[in-house]
Amino acid sequence: MSTKEQRERIELLQGTLDLLILRTLQRGPMHGHAIAKAIEFRSDEVLQVEQGSLYPALHRLIKRRWISAEEGTSENNRRAKFYALTSKGKQQLAVETGKWDKLARAIAQILRPGEQEEA
Amino acid sequence: MTRRKRMLANLEQDIRDHLERETQDNIDRGMSPDDARSAALRKFGNVARVKEETWEVWSIVWLEQLLQDVRFGVRTLLRSPGLTVAAIMAIALGVGINVGIFSVLNGLALRLLPVPRAQELLSVNQIIHFQGRGDRYIHNGANWFSYSEYQDYRDHNHVFTGLVAYEPYIEANLRDTDVRQVLGTAASCNYFDVLIEHPSQGRGFVDSDCESRRAVVVVSNDLWRGKFGSDPSLVGKKIVLNQTAYTVIGIARPGFTGTEPIPSAFWAPLTMQQALEPGIDRLSNDNMSWLALLGRTRPGVTMEEVRADLSVIAGRIDQRHSGPRRTTSLAIQAATFFSSPEERGHLIPVASVVLAAFALVLLIACANVANLLLARASVRHREIALRLSMGAGRGRLVRQLLTESLLLSLAGGALGSLIAFWSFIRITQLVTSYLPHDFPPLAVNVAPNLHVLAYALLLSLFTGIAFGLVPALRTSRLDLNSAMKGDSTQFGTAKKSGHFLLSILVGSQVAVCMVLLLAAGLLLRGLYTAQTIDPGFEMKGVATIFLDLGKQGYDPVHATAFMQRFRERIQSLPGVVEVAQAECAPLSHDFSGSEFVVPGRADTVGVEYNHVTPDYFSLLGIPIVRGRDFSPAETHASPGIIVTESTARRLWPGQDPLGKTLREISGREYSVIGVAKDAQVAHLGQLDTNYLYFPADKGDDSRSYILVRYSTGFADVAKGIRDAGRSIDPGVSIDVIQLEDYLEVWRAPSRIVAALSGALGSLALLLCSIGVYGMVSYSVSRSVRDIGIRMALGADGAQVMRLVVWQAMRPVVIGATIGAALCAAVSGVLRSMMFGLGTHDPIAFIGMPVFLLAVALVATLLPGRRAMRVDPMVALRCE
Repeated sequence: MSTKEQRERIELLQGTLDLLILRTLQRGPMHGHAIAKAIEFRSDEVLQVEQGSLYPALHRLIKRRWISAEEGTSENNRRAKFYALTSKGKQQLAVETGKWDKLARAIAQILRPGEQEEA
Repeated sequence: MTRRKRMLANLEQDIRDHLERETQDNIDRGMSPDDARSAALRKFGNVARVKEETWEVWSIVWLEQLLQDVRFGVRTLLRSPGLTVAAIMAIALGVGINVGIFSVLNGLALRLLPVPRAQELLSVNQIIHFQGRGDRYIHNGANWFSYSEYQDYRDHNHVFTGLVAYEPYIEANLRDTDVRQVLGTAASCNYFDVLIEHPSQGRGFVDSDCESRRAVVVVSNDLWRGKFGSDPSLVGKKIVLNQTAYTVIGIARPGFTGTEPIPSAFWAPLTMQQALEPGIDRLSNDNMSWLALLGRTRPGVTMEEVRADLSVIAGRIDQRHSGPRRTTSLAIQAATFFSSPEERGHLIPVASVVLAAFALVLLIACANVANLLLARASVRHREIALRLSMGAGRGRLVRQLLTESLLLSLAGGALGSLIAFWSFIRITQLVTSYLPHDFPPLAVNVAPNLHVLAYALLLSLFTGIAFGLVPALRTSRLDLNSAMKGDSTQFGTAKKSGHFLLSILVGSQVAVCMVLLLAAGLLLRGLYTAQTIDPGFEMKGVATIFLDLGKQGYDPVHATAFMQRFRERIQSLPGVVEVAQAECAPLSHDFSGSEFVVPGRADTVGVEYNHVTPDYFSLLGIPIVRGRDFSPAETHASPGIIVTESTARRLWPGQDPLGKTLREISGREYSVIGVAKDAQVAHLGQLDTNYLYFPADKGDDSRSYILVRYSTGFADVAKGIRDAGRSIDPGVSIDVIQLEDYLEVWRAPSRIVAALSGALGSLALLLCSIGVYGMVSYSVSRSVRDIGIRMALGADGAQVMRLVVWQAMRPVVIGATIGAALCAAVSGVLRSMMFGLGTHDPIAFIGMPVFLLAVALVATLLPGRRAMRVDPMVALRCE
C-alpha cells in the first residue's frame, strides 16, 4: 500500500510546479528564464525552485497541449523561445486552481484542530 | 519532423540562453563574472539530469519498458531451460503444423499466378440465371464463357490492357516414338503477351496465328526436357497432337506451367480447338461455358470500375440472348489457381474444416504451456510477491509476464515455422507421389510468402496471449502475506482456485482432444467402410481399356471397324474369359444422366444411364433378377431397357416393373424388359440413384470402355491387349488398368484424410495425456503435506490413490462428455464431405471415449503411485 502514497506525493509536487507555470503564463507569453524569475519574485522568494526542473515541466505542458512554444525575440533583441498559454491550458488552469483551493482548505481544516489539541 | 523532435531540437540552446541570462542578472547584481556563472549553474541544478528528464517527457516509455521486459524475460527463461525448451517445443509443434497446412492452402487458393506483375491480373467469372427453364452447355467450368461472349468482353471493355481466354485440360495424344497422352491448353493469341510470359526459346502467339488458324504450338519446358530430350532445335519442327501436325514456335519458360493448378504441357491457338478436339465445335456455340478469362487491368483502374464496365457488357449480352430471360452476374477477383466461385465453393468448406482441426491441436498445446506456466508460477511466488511489495503495479507485472509468454510463443512459432517451411514442401511431394496414378500432378507452390509469414506471426502472437494471459492474471493476484512468509503449500482458498483453474484447463484440453479423436474415429470408420464395401459387382480380375477413338482422329466407320477387330483379338488372347463394352466403366467417374417422364407421374425423374453390351452383366456378375438381358441384335433404336431393382421400387412401388414405360423429354418411349440387381456402378456408397441400362451399339464405338475378364496374371493380359491394339493401328493410345484402380480413386481421398486426421488425433492425444499427467503430478507435489496428514491419520495407499484419481478424472470425464457432445453436433459437416461416413457411428462414439479415458487414467496412475509412497513423517517434517 505504501507505494500508492508515494506516487501521489510525487504527482502532487509535479502538479504544483505545472500550476505555477500556467498561472505565470496567464499574464502573457514569456521565455523560460523569465518564468523562473517571476515564480521566484511573486512567491517572495519562498519557493526556491531549482530552475532546471522548469524545463521538463514546460515540455510536459507542451506535450499535453496546455502551452505552446514559439521562436521570438526578447526585450534585448535576442532570439528566445516563448511559451504561451493555449485555450486548453486556460481551462486547465481554472480547473487546477479550483482543485488547489479545495485541497488547501481541506488541509487547513485538518491542521488547525490538531494545533489546538497540542496547545 | 515530428513534434517530439521539433520540441527537443533547441533544448540545449534554450538552457544555454537561460544560464546566460541568469549570469547576466547576477553580474548586474554586482558579482564577478566567474561567481555569477557558478551561482547560475548552482541555481539551475544538474544540467545533464534536466536534459534527461526533458527527453523523458517525450520518450516513448512503453517502448523502453518493453525492451526492459524483453531483457528480463529472456534472462528468466534462460534460468529455467528445461521448462523453456518444453514450452517452445510444444508451441513449435502446434504452430508448425498450422503454418504448414496454411502454406499448402495458401499455395492452392491465395497465391497469385506465377507470372510477372500478377497483382494486375483479374479472373473474370459469370453466374448465369435463367428465368424459368434455361439450358446452358458446360465444359470444365460452369462460371466460364463462350467464345462470342469472350469476344464481346475483349473488344468492348475499357479497363483491361488485355483479356485472355483459354480452354484448359485438353487431352491430346502426342505421337512420337511412342504415344503418350498429355494435357494442354487452347489459348487466345494474346495469351503470352498479356501474361508477360515470353517463351524462353522461340516466340509466343501473335494475332495472325489465330486469324489464319495456323497449326502452331508452344510446348512446356517439362515436355521439352522430358519428351524431346531438351532438343535444342525443336523450335521449327513439327509435332503431332491428336492426328494434326503442329509447328513448335516456342518453349515456355521453366516454371511457367499455365494458369491452372494442373500443369499444361502445351499451348495451341484457340482457333485450333476443332483440330484438338475432333468432332466438337465449341467456338461457334454461343451457349457454352468453356473458356476461362483473365484480364490485366490498366494502371490506376479500381475493382469497382472493372465491375461497372464489365457489367454493362454483360447486360448487353443478356439482352441479345434469345429464349428464356437471362441475367448474368459477374464474379471478379484476383487471379489465383482457384478463382472461380465454383472451385472456391468446393475448396473453402474443406479448407475451413482442415484449418479448424489443426487449430484445435494448437489449442491443446497452448493449454499444456499454460499448465507449465501455472506450475512455474507457484515456484515464482516469492519473486512476484517481492516485486508487488516493492511497488510494482499489477498491470506492469501482467505486462512483464505476458512479455515472457510472448517471447516463448514467438520463439516456438519461429522454430515451428522454419520446420514447417522445410518439411511441408517434402511432405507435399510425398503425398502427391502416393496419389493414384490418374491423379494429375498439381503445380502447387507451398513455399512461404508474405501471407504465410503474416499467418505465422499472428498465430504466434495469439498463442502467446492465449496461454500467457490466464497464468499472468492469476500469478499477479497474490496474497502477499502468506507468500512472503514462505507458505508455499497454500492451504485454503488460494489452493482451491489454483486447482480449479488447472482442472478447467485440462478439462477443455480433453474436450478438444475428444472432438479431434472422434472426428478421426469417424473418418477411420468411413475408410473401413470404403475398403470393405461390397459394390455389388465382381471387380477382381477385370481389366478396363478406355478408348476415345473420336479424339484420336477416327471417324465413326473406322472406329467401329477398329473396335470390332480389337475385341476379336482380345477375345482370342490366352487367359481372357469374357469381353464386354460399355459407355461408362463402373466407378470410372464417367457417367451420363437425363430427365425422364414416368407415365402417371407429374414431375420428371433424373436417371443416370449407361450403354452396355449384353455380356456386361455376366462379366461383372450382376444378376438379372427379372425379365431378360439384352440380345446382341438390340441397338440404340430398340425400345427395351433394363432398370435396377431399387429404381423399379422407387418408380413403380408395389408393381411389376416389366413392360412399364419411361419417356424421354423428346417423347421417345422405352419399356422395361429386365431388372438388374443393384450395384454401385456410378457412385460408391450411393444406392438411391436411379439407374438404367440401354443397349450399346456401333454409335458407342467412338468413345467407350472395353471390359475384359481374365483368369491369368494382369501384366500378361495387359501386354497382350496393348500389342493387339498396336497390331491394328500403331498410332492408337491404349491404357490398360485394373477395374479395382477406379475404386482406389474413390478411396484415396478418404485414405489421405483418415491418415491426416489419425495423425492429428494421436498428436492431440499425446499432448492431452501430457497435460493430464502434468496436472496430476503438480497437484500431488503441492499436496504432499495434505497426503502426509491423511496417511498419518490412518489412510492407506489405496485410499490416497482413489482420492488422487478421483480428483484428476473429474475434469477429464466432464471434458470428454462435452467434447463428445460437440462432436456429435458437428459430425454432419464431416459427413457431407466424405464418402461412407456414419454421423453417429456407435463404434467410433464408444471406442474413442473409452480409449481417451484409458489413456488419461494411465497418465493419472503414474503420479498417483508417487502419492501412495509418500512417507508421512518426511512429508510433515519438510515444511
